[in-house]
Amino acid sequence: MNEYQLIKDVTYEYDADIGLAYSSPCRGIWNIVHIGTQIPGCHQIYVCPTSCLRGVVLTTAEMHAMDRLSTITVGEDNILEGNMEETLHDGVVKIIQQLPERPRMIMIFISCIHQFMAANYQRVYGILRKEYPDIDFVDAYMDPIMRRKTPAVPSLTRQTYRVLQPAEHLASQVNYIGNWFPTEEYSDLTKHLRANGIDIRELSTETDYDHFKQMQNSAMNITYHKYASLAGKDMEIRLNQKWVQVHMSFDYDVIAQDMNHISELLKIPAVSPTEIQAQIQACEDAVKELKQLVGDTVISLDYTAVDEPLSLAYYLLKHGFNVESVFIEVFTEDEKVFNDLRALKPDLKIYSADNWNMRVMDRQHAGSVLAIGQKAAYYNNTNNFVDIIWSAGMYGYLGIQHLCELMRDAYLHEKDMPDLIQHKGWGCCAK
Amino acid sequence: MSDWHTHVFTSTYTADVSGVCSVLYELGGMTVLHDPSGCNSTYTTHDEPRWYDTKSLMFVSGLDEMAAVMGDDSVVINDVVKAAADLKPRFITLCGASIPHIIAFDYRGVAHLIEEKTGIPVLPVPTDGLKSYISGVGLASREWIRRFADPKVPVKAHSMNLLGVTPIDFADQAHVEVLKKSVTPEGYVVNACFAMGDTFEKEAEVYAGAVNVLPTSAGRIAARFMQGIRKVPYVEGVPIGSYMSQQIQQAIQDSEADGKNRTAYDDLDTDGNVLVIGEEIYARSMATAVNHTAYAKEHQLKASAIWPDVNEGLNEDDLIKRVNAAQIIIGDPLFRNIIHNKETSMIEIPHEGYSGRIYHNNVPQFANCEFDIEERLRERK
Repeated sequence: MNEYQLIKDVTYEYDADIGLAYSSPCRGIWNIVHIGTQIPGCHQIYVCPTSCLRGVVLTTAEMHAMDRLSTITVGEDNILEGNMEETLHDGVVKIIQQLPERPRMIMIFISCIHQFMAANYQRVYGILRKEYPDIDFVDAYMDPIMRRKTPAVPSLTRQTYRVLQPAEHLASQVNYIGNWFPTEEYSDLTKHLRANGIDIRELSTETDYDHFKQMQNSAMNITYHKYASLAGKDMEIRLNQKWVQVHMSFDYDVIAQDMNHISELLKIPAVSPTEIQAQIQACEDAVKELKQLVGDTVISLDYTAVDEPLSLAYYLLKHGFNVESVFIEVFTEDEKVFNDLRALKPDLKIYSADNWNMRVMDRQHAGSVLAIGQKAAYYNNTNNFVDIIWSAGMYGYLGIQHLCELMRDAYLHEKDMPDLIQHKGWGCCAK
Repeated sequence: MSDWHTHVFTSTYTADVSGVCSVLYELGGMTVLHDPSGCNSTYTTHDEPRWYDTKSLMFVSGLDEMAAVMGDDSVVINDVVKAAADLKPRFITLCGASIPHIIAFDYRGVAHLIEEKTGIPVLPVPTDGLKSYISGVGLASREWIRRFADPKVPVKAHSMNLLGVTPIDFADQAHVEVLKKSVTPEGYVVNACFAMGDTFEKEAEVYAGAVNVLPTSAGRIAARFMQGIRKVPYVEGVPIGSYMSQQIQQAIQDSEADGKNRTAYDDLDTDGNVLVIGEEIYARSMATAVNHTAYAKEHQLKASAIWPDVNEGLNEDDLIKRVNAAQIIIGDPLFRNIIHNKETSMIEIPHEGYSGRIYHNNVPQFANCEFDIEERLRERK
């Protein structure tokens, strides 16, 4: 069985139910622990069987952040005696009493087994809130069995901001929701909003808990990533903050439309057509220069590097690059992007990156490959790769220009791929 | 109130599911972990140093809410059959974590159905994700031996097996080679090392070994099973330094002669000023090795040991009490954060089963007749 399908043989309603799943050695994508450590002053407590605890504890240990996490192990006795709630409550109390510093916020992660044992964890949280009114308790979930409805990262992204409460809104303050990397340098939207006096709040730059909670005073929430949609919607309902999604597209028109839409809502001037044209020209110059350098080198990219891999593949193909393959989990782009790409390159190889047959894939490739993303690098066994995840704070025209720079660097300089891709949580530091 | 559930500061030992995958890793099978997600990447990231460089087959079933609620075993059956048809493993192992456990997933029945459909032997290993790797390694070893080993093969005199051997306890093959050398009495041969560095065929002749050696408690379940089937005696101990090495070698010879089980380590008191933290047989062997050094006698050192329970792990309250009472701690570097007494020194011996891959490159070859714990005691910080 081929590990890939040609895009001409794939429909947009791609079957993402892959059967047995393979865990590749690529570890750059953040897991829930990484996200939890981004809230300053937050202590995480995981309440799970030992098999589930192991991964989160060692993720934390690898970050040298064991002081940010404690655990309550679910055992056979809890199942037999039905005392999940007591163990949860008493464990949390014990942890609070023994920690050297009182946490401002505690995220309590329950697991799959709590869902199936009908544990009334919300009642426990209610008791804890009364017992410790100075601590913000937030319910969080490590329950992949519920992933069809609430996948782990979207769920946690929503819960991360649950501590925010309805408050007065400031017209000139907006939040970026679900951005784990600063957008200061390579986002046109950030530069435009800042230039027009907008105070942008994003968790990636927060270092103080009280300052973080001021996000409840923002008038608007902007989400870049699809995994943040659940949070955006939740905050719109709970906090009455306007929610706007931007597309992580490589289509110049879509970028301009999104930025101007937000400008209009914030009642600030739109990005001028002259500025947009200048930025588009800068993109064209950057991509032309890159093409001259890499020529017909095979290019492969994956879904962990950018939010819309098909959109990037289309952009590169339109500019003459030799894009051979895309590694995906599911299609995240609009159907139009998929159809345009299929028409442009019918023999583009689409790999289901976590499928069981990827374990035995022949990773040798005739000729050199320039990869964008860790999985594309691993599966093509190339040291020439752009080592980023989740677009790494890049957006819009500036994002495209910076990506061209990263591709140039990757083409010219090999990296230690096996070492880099196995490092957990690309770019993550516990606060 | 002391409770074993809560760990404010310390890590957790790896789980039974990782033990299953690890012990069967080199035998040409396909291990399927029946679980929603997570356990597989935990194993492949933290507990399996061979993952990047080999293509051993280990997958997660991706059990979801609907299949669990409906008890729809056809999902995992069909997925396994489909993958097996393409990958053609020599055997299939079916293990799982806590959700299959609480919904009473029928491992044996499902294994039988998959076997009927594929014609490939399927081993049911009913793990539950609640226990430590000691249980997983043991259950998987026993199941594999029950299915594939020939109990009628002639016993080779002066031969022995090592049971329960995985990178979780011994890091890499080079370590296992010195382990083998260090437990082998003169005139003896290692019949099988279950399960690192040997072929399927060699492991299948495990009953030819006259004695089983357990350098980890992960070998106990298989050892007891083999004793029940064919009265193979076993010896427990890790050859940490020359004293423990000699003790084990003598015990092997004695056990072959009289058919009785032996422990090569001493009975230890729970009090002492040196505390060894780790897997049971390792910890007891290390403490014994310490107590038989000249340095310990000179400085009135007395070593005791503490090890994780298979079901409950290490009770953090008890652990901290024992750590506070000790002058010297021998254990994984991750235990450093519970040492609050400035006078207490630590000898770091990383354990993959506790700290995973973090200190993988720093694991010393402690299962070695030439390992000098006395030198470490003298040079400790």
